[in-house]
Amino acid sequence: MIALLRRQAFPLSVATAAIAVLSLFFLIPLWKVFDASILDASGKVLTFANYKTVLSNRFFLSGLTNSLIIAVSSSVTTIMIGVPLAFCIARLPMAGKSLLLALAALPLVLPSFVSAYALVLMFGRAGIVTRFLHDLGIPFDSIYGIKGIVATYALTLYPYVVLPTVAAFKSVDVSVEEAAQNLGASRLRTMRTVTLPIVLPSILAGGLLVFIETLENFGVPFVLAEDKPILAVEAFKLFVSETAANPASAGVLGMLLITCTIAALLIQRAVLARRYSATGARRSPPLLVVGPTLRALGTAYCWLIVSTALVPFIAVVAISFMRFNGPVLHYDLSLSNFTELLRQSYRPLTNTLLLSTLAAIGTTLIGVPIGYLLVRRRSRLTALLDIVATSPFAVAGTVLGIGLVLAYSNGFLILTGTWMIMVIAYVVRKLPFAVKSSSAILHQIDQNLEEASINLGFPPFATFLRITVPLIIGGIVGGAVLTFVTVASELSSTVVLYSGPWMTMTVVMFQALEGTSAGAATAAATILILFTAIPVALVYRLLRRHERSVLNS
Amino acid sequence: MTSIMIDEVARSFGNIPAVDNVSIAIRNGEFFTLLGPSGCGKTTLLRMVAGFCELDRGRILFGEQRVDTLPPHQRNTGMVFQNYAVFPHLTVGDNVAYGLRARKISKPEIDARVARTLKLIQLDGYQSRWPHQLSGGQLQRAAIARAVVIEPRVLLLDEPLSNLDAKLRVEMRGEIRRLQKTLGITVVYVTHDQEEALSMSDRIAVMRTGRIQQVADPRTLYERPATPFVAKFVGTTNLLSGTVTQCDGDIATIVIDGTGMLVRTSAVRLGDRVELSLRPEALRLLSAGEAAPPGWSVLAGKLEDSEYLGAATRINLRLASGPLLQLMAESVPAADAATVAYDPARAAVWRKEA
Repeated sequence: MIALLRRQAFPLSVATAAIAVLSLFFLIPLWKVFDASILDASGKVLTFANYKTVLSNRFFLSGLTNSLIIAVSSSVTTIMIGVPLAFCIARLPMAGKSLLLALAALPLVLPSFVSAYALVLMFGRAGIVTRFLHDLGIPFDSIYGIKGIVATYALTLYPYVVLPTVAAFKSVDVSVEEAAQNLGASRLRTMRTVTLPIVLPSILAGGLLVFIETLENFGVPFVLAEDKPILAVEAFKLFVSETAANPASAGVLGMLLITCTIAALLIQRAVLARRYSATGARRSPPLLVVGPTLRALGTAYCWLIVSTALVPFIAVVAISFMRFNGPVLHYDLSLSNFTELLRQSYRPLTNTLLLSTLAAIGTTLIGVPIGYLLVRRRSRLTALLDIVATSPFAVAGTVLGIGLVLAYSNGFLILTGTWMIMVIAYVVRKLPFAVKSSSAILHQIDQNLEEASINLGFPPFATFLRITVPLIIGGIVGGAVLTFVTVASELSSTVVLYSGPWMTMTVVMFQALEGTSAGAATAAATILILFTAIPVALVYRLLRRHERSVLNS
Repeated sequence: MTSIMIDEVARSFGNIPAVDNVSIAIRNGEFFTLLGPSGCGKTTLLRMVAGFCELDRGRILFGEQRVDTLPPHQRNTGMVFQNYAVFPHLTVGDNVAYGLRARKISKPEIDARVARTLKLIQLDGYQSRWPHQLSGGQLQRAAIARAVVIEPRVLLLDEPLSNLDAKLRVEMRGEIRRLQKTLGITVVYVTHDQEEALSMSDRIAVMRTGRIQQVADPRTLYERPATPFVAKFVGTTNLLSGTVTQCDGDIATIVIDGTGMLVRTSAVRLGDRVELSLRPEALRLLSAGEAAPPGWSVLAGKLEDSEYLGAATRINLRLASGPLLQLMAESVPAADAATVAYDPARAAVWRKEA
């Protein structure tokens, strides 16, 4: 028994610590939100009246339907855009594929509400394109409302579908397709009856990510929804304005958001339950032999989508170097937006850098050991850990933020208003990705390598440092940079949790949008884009090189 | 170098016993093979010796020292993995030096021993190569070099040849055996390939569903299999079922589907249901008028089909009453009707459990 404890000391302590941290900063806040939703305004009497009030309120009800309509149509649109794109990248002969794939992944790390804001600058009521069209006498309705929101999501979230689907198209075992053709199926029929069903799980997984991301996203609807109610936004507004002791209505909206996400997860699971996952391919399919016309069409389609998605970001950067007079744009070069933005303080800039760095470090330090346990030490405890550590991904940032405030404003641990509560929220929110990516990297590393090292005389921890770490370090660094980047552009929990001195760049931009300071908003957007694009560009080569060296061995 | 004592060792995964009360004594300097079909527990047993698999019960000793309580990195075994597990981020030289560094050996000595071992294993000149620049056979050599350079007490090989092509496999077989003799090291070798086991081993343990079926030298294993399973798994054989109808001293008559066969055995009694194994080479096709060798019995049969194998022809002969016998001949007999002689002393017989 004692020997067993000694052997299991490492996994046991890591798992216990991780579950404790997640209980404190994820499960308890979540419980607080639920608790708020079933108590009356005084916070003492158990009641379902809040649900009744909210669900009989036409405003909130339309918020729910709006959110669902947006989530469903965004998922469908990204799948319709993304699957052909993925197919072209995986199977057509094209020049510059690696650049194309890199650019296609870029919108994932760029802040989506910046893209939304760029659309407003171009197609809003006073937008550049709108005015231009009006001058030409072409009527153009502005892009506010659901259509604009869905368009923004389609352009910023399509990589969620493209990336897994490209991988899936490449990993279909060629002999399965050859077998279908050998049995008399045409190319198209093979595609419909063999290839697509095999890739379907990956497509659906991507679609589900889009669904969840759109449900929880705060910035894009904040910029584009105008008076249309959207769940994530209304929960925040209610929470900020609710004066009663118990934020009951915000709690109800939070629970509704979580319910929608869980329903989507369950539906996906039910759809995929009867399917076999693709078996490891021995040989991936060769590139299709196509005529020059098809090839040109495919290439054009890919570049069209990829560049359209990046146009808003480029536009924002360009506009940020032009002079604004209040909300009115003048076409002359100037740094006035940046001076206006930074006139008051550099603090938001340094805050973003500091908090993102701390969050990246924290997420890595907690996420990598969990990932290691999940891959190397499967047990009932780690199975539980798997569920707890990956479920924050189903909880909207606004809801987690509200929960943290509810849980830690008073009592034994007071965190509200500190920088710590922000970092905690970021770590919890990004943990699922850190766990998933580090366990994915570890899965590729043969356990025999570690055993060989132990067999040759290095104890487990020395082996971890000498063998495991060098083999996974590239992936770990890459994951940490991705965490940094996504935290830098995080808005939904930040907006609930920040306090005066701990304002971040996203909050500055958010406030600039609320006011009329369009110029400062574009400058903030440009800085955010730099914060995200530059680190990713820096580690991109490292990640690719690392992948190659591990895969070739 | 050491002897190994595996003493009533057991391990289950869930309800399935992977290793079921196994005891083996391996001698110092012996080339010992664990042979069996996949899932028989041979790899689990090897991993127990290395320390990568916990024991539910039992003990493992190297010489006088109990090792099953030691963590794997203190057991001083050299293991060669099925997929080699050569560290991809280290050069061949660093791979081989890895275990020596763990033992805090001085740099000049490490260099000398690495060079010597690479030469021994015919990889000299590859010291600064990266693993991804090596062929499968070279990776295999690097993995072996890495395991033997530390002068382990026992060398453990887990199906080391299964990823090589057929020709290289035969070549490496001889080389591993030579290396073992040169170093005089105790080897535990796991394989599912009976030919590999027979050609390399001093002794072989045949395993099935976690249990030892027989431990013997290759010849005994082949000629006197302890169970029908061993007879079938090691080499090819004709396995027949019948009943003992007559016992006359050490000659028993066994009736198989109506055909009576004489077998030299004293292990059966009248009325026993038995299984009988007769190797193809204990059977001889008689040409017309040819007399059976002294002491052999004869049976009449009909040629069913034949397979030309180059050096010999494999013939399937249907006995008049039904059973099929496989045997080797130099050529296919001219007529369909054939007479076959067999050596009653070379048949193995087991009583069936009731």
